Amino acid sequence: MKMMSLACLNVLVFGATVAGAEGSAPTDPQIAAIVVTANQVDINAGKLAQSKSHDKDVKTFAERMVVDHTGVNKSATELVTKLHVTPQTSETSQSLQKGGEDNLAALKKLNGSAFDRAYVDHEVAYHQAVLDAVDNTLIPSAQNAELKALLVKVRPAFVAHLEHAKQLQASLGKSGG
Amino acid sequence: MHPHQRELVRLFELLLAAALATGNAGPATPQVNAPPKTHTITIENMRFNPEVLTVKRGDHVVWVNKDLFPHTATADAKNFDSGSIATDASWAYVVRKPGAYAFSCTFHPMMKGKLTVEP
Repeated sequence: MKMMSLACLNVLVFGATVAGAEGSAPTDPQIAAIVVTANQVDINAGKLAQSKSHDKDVKTFAERMVVDHTGVNKSATELVTKLHVTPQTSETSQSLQKGGEDNLAALKKLNGSAFDRAYVDHEVAYHQAVLDAVDNTLIPSAQNAELKALLVKVRPAFVAHLEHAKQLQASLGKSGG
Repeated sequence: MHPHQRELVRLFELLLAAALATGNAGPATPQVNAPPKTHTITIENMRFNPEVLTVKRGDHVVWVNKDLFPHTATADAKNFDSGSIATDASWAYVVRKPGAYAFSCTFHPMMKGKLTVEP
């Protein structure tokens, strides 16, 4: 199940880029939209978890996702404003958006520990997929030096979030709830 | 503090140190009148830089957050706690008690550092 969702997410993040572009990399305006969407999707999931979860650790993690990704998006928005870049939707950003909406819809049907597990499992897969996209597609494709620098700067946060989500996933597994 | 006041405080510290030195006669405590230094720990890319820092008692340590979201500098034993340090903000702490203080970011517990305070 976990492997499947990870594979699906990889398709969501990569698939459209690879299939849609047929060799051409995303442009800077497209990268800007992918970054903003990727952060917003995680903020939305975090807000749902803050309101629905009863687990202290899950709520703490969710709050961190909302705060950190909001901070990243604020910087991303300031940068594209400064660079006069208008974020442009692409198949990738639309897939991320759709994936985020599907995840919210699925999570809304769950409660208690089932909700916590599904939220955290998705966070692990999502951060791994976004990290892969940052490393393999977004950083190599970014043309503007400041946009590339922003991606490099946010990367450690994605790594730390992934690690935090994995620890949470392991502790939820142990608690047996 | 007004510059003149700062000078007066410094003068007072020197006089006090001199009085203590003559009173003790022995090797005294030369570091008492050494002016406190300010050390900066930059928080960036989910790390404290430097991660390990040694200072003298009375020195100032300033944590500057250059990341895109808030962090804290919190001693594991709760000797000090910055609370949330916003992006581009900083928090200063004057270390009074010698010892070794492991600290971390309460928001991102994998971020760790160590502050050693020499007498």
